Amino acid sequence: MRRVLAGALTAALLLALSGCGPRTLTGLLPYAREIEDMELVRTLGVDGDGDGVAVTASGGAREGEETHLTAGRADTISVAVLSMQSQGSSYLYFGHVGQLLLGEELARRGVSEPLDYVLRDVEMRLETALYLVRDGTAGQAMAAAAEEGSAADRLEALAEDVGLTADTMTRSVKDVLADLEDRGASFAPALTADGTLTAAGYGILKEGALVGWAEGEAALGVNLILSRVDADVVEVSPPGQAGAALRVVDARSRVRPVFTGDTLTGLEVLCRVEANLAEGAPAAEDSRRQALCDALAGTEAGRIQAALDLAHALDADYLGLCRKAALLAPWHRRVLLEEAELGKLTLTVRVEAVLQRSYHADG
Amino acid sequence: MRYERERTAPHPRREPRFAGPLTVEGLAEVFAHCVDFTRRPVALEGESACTLTLCYLGGMVRMERVSDYVLRPLAEDGGLRRCPTAAAAMARMEAGALYNLGVARRTTLDQGAFDLVDGWCLLFFPGEREALSFFVGTEEKRSVSAPENETVLKGARDGFVESVRTNTSIVRRHLKAPELRIVEELVGRQSVTAVDVLYLEGLTNPELVEALVERLRAIDIDGVFATGNIEEYIVPAARTPFPLVQYTQRSDRFCAGLAEGRVGLLIDGIPLGYLTPAVLGNFLQAPQDKSSGWLMATALTLLRYGCMLLTLFLPALYVAMVTFHQEMIPTRLALSIIAAKENVPFRSGFEVLVLLLAFEILQEAGLRLPQSIGQTVSIIGGLVVGSAAVEAKIVSPAVLIVVAIAGIAGYTMPSQELSGALRIWRFLLALLAGAAGLFGAVAGAAALIIHLAGLESFGVPYLTPFAVSAGREAREHVFLRRPLPQVKDRPPALHPRNRRKQR
Repeated sequence: MRRVLAGALTAALLLALSGCGPRTLTGLLPYAREIEDMELVRTLGVDGDGDGVAVTASGGAREGEETHLTAGRADTISVAVLSMQSQGSSYLYFGHVGQLLLGEELARRGVSEPLDYVLRDVEMRLETALYLVRDGTAGQAMAAAAEEGSAADRLEALAEDVGLTADTMTRSVKDVLADLEDRGASFAPALTADGTLTAAGYGILKEGALVGWAEGEAALGVNLILSRVDADVVEVSPPGQAGAALRVVDARSRVRPVFTGDTLTGLEVLCRVEANLAEGAPAAEDSRRQALCDALAGTEAGRIQAALDLAHALDADYLGLCRKAALLAPWHRRVLLEEAELGKLTLTVRVEAVLQRSYHADG
Repeated sequence: MRYERERTAPHPRREPRFAGPLTVEGLAEVFAHCVDFTRRPVALEGESACTLTLCYLGGMVRMERVSDYVLRPLAEDGGLRRCPTAAAAMARMEAGALYNLGVARRTTLDQGAFDLVDGWCLLFFPGEREALSFFVGTEEKRSVSAPENETVLKGARDGFVESVRTNTSIVRRHLKAPELRIVEELVGRQSVTAVDVLYLEGLTNPELVEALVERLRAIDIDGVFATGNIEEYIVPAARTPFPLVQYTQRSDRFCAGLAEGRVGLLIDGIPLGYLTPAVLGNFLQAPQDKSSGWLMATALTLLRYGCMLLTLFLPALYVAMVTFHQEMIPTRLALSIIAAKENVPFRSGFEVLVLLLAFEILQEAGLRLPQSIGQTVSIIGGLVVGSAAVEAKIVSPAVLIVVAIAGIAGYTMPSQELSGALRIWRFLLALLAGAAGLFGAVAGAAALIIHLAGLESFGVPYLTPFAVSAGREAREHVFLRRPLPQVKDRPPALHPRNRRKQR
């Protein structure tokens, strides 16, 4: 036994000396790369560049250091990224990309190519947040953001503040890919192209390309339909009553199919909104409370209807309305998921608003 | 010409060591050139007037006992003067004319020689082929005190001392059951050390006792001067760095082990008690666990298991993540590590291994020096050299933190032997992680588990009860500690003859 072990050990040592050993071992063992030799790319921007693409990588190798921007152009993202690797002394590492920004031009041409790149690349993650840059390119937006700090920091702050706003939300590459595969339409948050990178509603994707924007009231309606309203303040002025600011604390929506006979004729969104009195005269009386609720319901219904009108106009089920309706009426699943065309359906909304008692004794 | 390693021939043990009848001349020959060997003629007056010879080893006997218990009655006892012959006087002395508690009639030189070494004195009678042996030993020993290496907050403070007989008496005081058995074996050709096997008759699995006694009998060494002289002969210690025998200085812990159905071992000259069999979980139990509340004890035990994993895997995981799997590190932490490693010239794996080695050197230096200097070395090494190395960009702070956390986590192990074994495996895992990342670390972890699963302590698998079904309530004894009134049974893996330990 000892001789066998000694022989095996000697053979292993001789293998290393033979010259072919290390190559053999390299094939077996994972490739080592020291972390300090890397530059961590935190934000990746992809824009259309004629028939090709322009890729911009934003990263900071050191905490608090100035953001480094690297750009590359080629026919495909992979070649552009490869050309970027040769530009600096550090290896660009894409395992920490947290945000993927797509320029409007590229998005209108099609988002399949960049999303497919994320799907296939060994370093990038499907959890990467996806943003569409409105009225500009991702490269411009990242360059402008880099002058004021870092695009990654700004977008991370935006993602953390999603709960404080009611007109944006974070969407990952995985979410969008899954939606496009499931119903051929999806949406992604939009950003302004200036250095502030502020939220600008949502871009609506249909069959892999940008077809429109949901902004303003429609963007707020998207969040209401998806029950993603954690905090929103709505100013209402009921007829004959003093105005008030209502803090919306919860919104729960369902989608109900509407049939005439056996034919699917429409979808109705049922939304229950809960709010508190944030500012204004007390709502101790039932009449005032009811008036405020009615006013709130009217406002929220308008927002939801704006989002639904976009879906109807674009004939794009970017909110997954049919699937939601199928969950409520599974016996109509086939009709809802396979035959329904949103452009031919009547999309209506019904909102119930509830004004909860506030912490004040006067209600 | 074939090279053949020269091997020494086995040296058979001579039994008895000194053949022949017991005579004064024989003893003088055995103890020739020994300055402490003393023989003194003593005149016995009366009808059987003759000159007796008293032999003893100076320093091994207590002079007052020789004078008061042996010499004074010989000179003053009237009954002895009236004995007609030396044989009659000898019989009277054996019957109680001399005051010693221990008296024996010896006939062989071997018995006589070992009696003298053990602190007995021999009284020879002219014309008789036998001698009387009286115990007059000094029994000088360290007084019973609180164990130094195992802190006692709540519990008995009578730690074991070097005298095996004192230790057995301490055990008897804790375990007053007459079923307590103490079997003695003499080990070591030169040291002739008494090694006592303790167990509770009717409770402990007799096969365990038999196995231990058999292994003790098979030991044929020069002497028992260190704990390893026994440990390494009764368990397959050559195959593993992990401890397979548990030791304690605390008598209460030792007795609790005996009452649990384990077999105890006390060695003369070594102030420790050994308990067998011992499984991995035993080494993660602190003596204080039974004194603390069950919730606290369980939480601390879980913490120790966590620390065991931390001390084993943290350096390896750091090397694997920083060198191979950077995507596993949270982005901000990765940025901090990059910033910390700026201008450090060494690879992460090398850095970790060097720092682990430096940690071991510091620890060894601190242990070998006197306590006050040792502390200074630790402070200088840990703080001054560490921070200087970081400032000089020789090592990165992240590696220093990782190695320090791993080292401190290792200190939570109640057993130093287990801690040492973990340190060896920590190096191995860090090396493997440096070569193959997580694949290497996982392969090393698998090898460790396979190694542990292959170990046995007196027939009990080392990973009991994790890897072996050991019956109901098995985990009570090594992992979780339920309230004691709810723990009705003894550990089933020990196969005690009496499973139930309380009503």
